Amino acid sequence: MNDNPKRLIQLTVNGEIQTVPVESHWTLSKVLRNDCGHTGTKEACDEGACGACTVLIDGLAVPACMILAVEQEGKDIETIEGLSVDGKLHPIQEAWLEEYGSQCGFCSPGMIMTTKYLLSKNPNPTDDEIKEAIGGNLCICSNYEHIINAVRSAAQKMSKEQTHV
Amino acid sequence: MKRFNHFNATTMEEAVNLLNESEGPAYVIAGGSDLMGCLKDNLWMEAPERVINLKTIPGLKEINVKDDGLHIGAMVTLTEVAESDAVKEQWPGLAEAARRTASPLLRNMGTVAGNICQENRCWYYRYPDKIGGRIDCVRKGGKRCLAVPGDHRLHSIFGQVKKCIAVNPSDTAPAFVALNATIKTTKRDIPIDEFFSAEMGAQSTILDRNEIVTEIVVPTPKAGPTSAFNKIAYRKSIDFALVNCAASITIEDGKVTAARICLNGVHNNPRRCETSEQMLVGKQLTEAVAKEAGELAVAEAKPLLQNIYKVQMAKTIVSDTLLDCIK
Ligand SMILES: Cc1cc2nc3c(=O)[nH]c(=O)nc-3n(C[C@H](O)[C@H](O)[C@H](O)COP(=O)(O)OP(=O)(O)OC[C@H]3O[C@@H](n4cnc5c(N)ncnc54)[C@H](O)[C@@H]3O)c2cc1C
Ligand code: SF4
Ligand code: FES
Ligand code: FES
Repeated sequence: MNDNPKRLIQLTVNGEIQTVPVESHWTLSKVLRNDCGHTGTKEACDEGACGACTVLIDGLAVPACMILAVEQEGKDIETIEGLSVDGKLHPIQEAWLEEYGSQCGFCSPGMIMTTKYLLSKNPNPTDDEIKEAIGGNLCICSNYEHIINAVRSAAQKMSKEQTHV
Repeated sequence: MKRFNHFNATTMEEAVNLLNESEGPAYVIAGGSDLMGCLKDNLWMEAPERVINLKTIPGLKEINVKDDGLHIGAMVTLTEVAESDAVKEQWPGLAEAARRTASPLLRNMGTVAGNICQENRCWYYRYPDKIGGRIDCVRKGGKRCLAVPGDHRLHSIFGQVKKCIAVNPSDTAPAFVALNATIKTTKRDIPIDEFFSAEMGAQSTILDRNEIVTEIVVPTPKAGPTSAFNKIAYRKSIDFALVNCAASITIEDGKVTAARICLNGVHNNPRRCETSEQMLVGKQLTEAVAKEAGELAVAEAKPLLQNIYKVQMAKTIVSDTLLDCIK
């Protein structure tokens, strides 16, 4: 037990492979923040109950604080930092700005990743579907009204982009 | 979190060997949404030496409908069950139970097998070590139960098992009981009615320490998809059930010929409502009959000072769930 050395693992974060030394009990959220330089992923409850740490793993939105980093080799991990391309915001981020989706902003990275997951499965969600989808993401500022507007607007932006392509 | 050695198993045999060879306590990890909380809070009197990952074993992630019913592999997630067209059509009570479990994020990682193996959520039991030291109550092998003299508003209304009054928290457990599932393990096939046990210490099931669930099999309902699930919780998402209920009934020529009803969140183990089931047989399922079934379900309740409210919830949820079966 005491001879528990750090293990070198390869994580694919936003398409980039990073080699990081981790201990077996470290969570993905800790490793992303402390070792991969991705502090966009937030930690609030650290017990799976708030969604601040939401990332996409192989396309699925999950709470990174409940996930062991050592189990993520070979997986495609996407964080909030991966959304903008060459300084251009992702349509969901634009919608967040325009619709005042953030107050303090602490829940925003997680909310936005959950929104990305929702819109990948359901490009045109109803308000009820939006509410159900963000059910694992808490906003302590209680900015839900604006967040729902932002998700709706993001869906419109993304479906317009689709039809233009 | 305490250090442990982590292993990626590639076969069930290897996972069982890794459990057998461990000198200290060893746990398998599926989604980890329950286990990670236990590890972080350093809950147990003896910290685990090994954590063995089952997600690296191929072939456990399939949902198949076969002649004898629905086969759910041990690594199938709650989201996959909730969204499966086959499950929604034939076993709506199970699909709804999975859909109402935890939150969308946790359902993407949490497995159904992990859901029925999870440990109880008594807040004394779960009290984190890092805030003033963990509580070694009876259920962990200690001397006292803090809930009986303390705050037991979320605890059992049907008495205790070995001095513990923590309830089974699972949302899919009552659905599997109502649908009469079989739990297949590395050692044996266990009928769901025998699977849960609060007598084995911290764990919620009769599983041996070196036994792993490989698959859950749910028989196809004879008379069509007449099952349902309901849950009462503080919030619609994230929160555990205060009370939940699943029911599955068979109706032939307008009369109930068989019924299985299960409440959870009310006792240490999921609780079949057998007197209600017996009463229903031979009757037409009307509102009045459903109401009577609800009353029978709580006839033997022995609530404590702070959880009397759950009796009313259990009564109502049984009758509502029965009526939902035929909606
Ligand atoms: C904030 C929060 C809210 C939650 N809300 C709910 C809720 O509303 N309803 C609910 O039912 N649950 C809830 N849960 C609990 C948990 O998310 C679910 O029970 C989930 O289904 C557990 O599955 P898992 O794969 O993540 O299990 P794990 O955490 O991997 O495992 C749970 C336990 O089962 C054992 N185990 C896992 N797989 C097997 C197997 N194949 N064979 C033998 N043993 C096994 C593990 O060793 C561990 O002891 C919640 C959890 C959190 C953190
Ligand atoms: S109810 Fe059970 S788990 Fe809770 S404190 Fe008492 S013995 Fe421990
Ligand atoms: S920090 Fe991970 S869910 Fe709250
Ligand atoms: S904006 Fe502050 S938590 Fe959501």
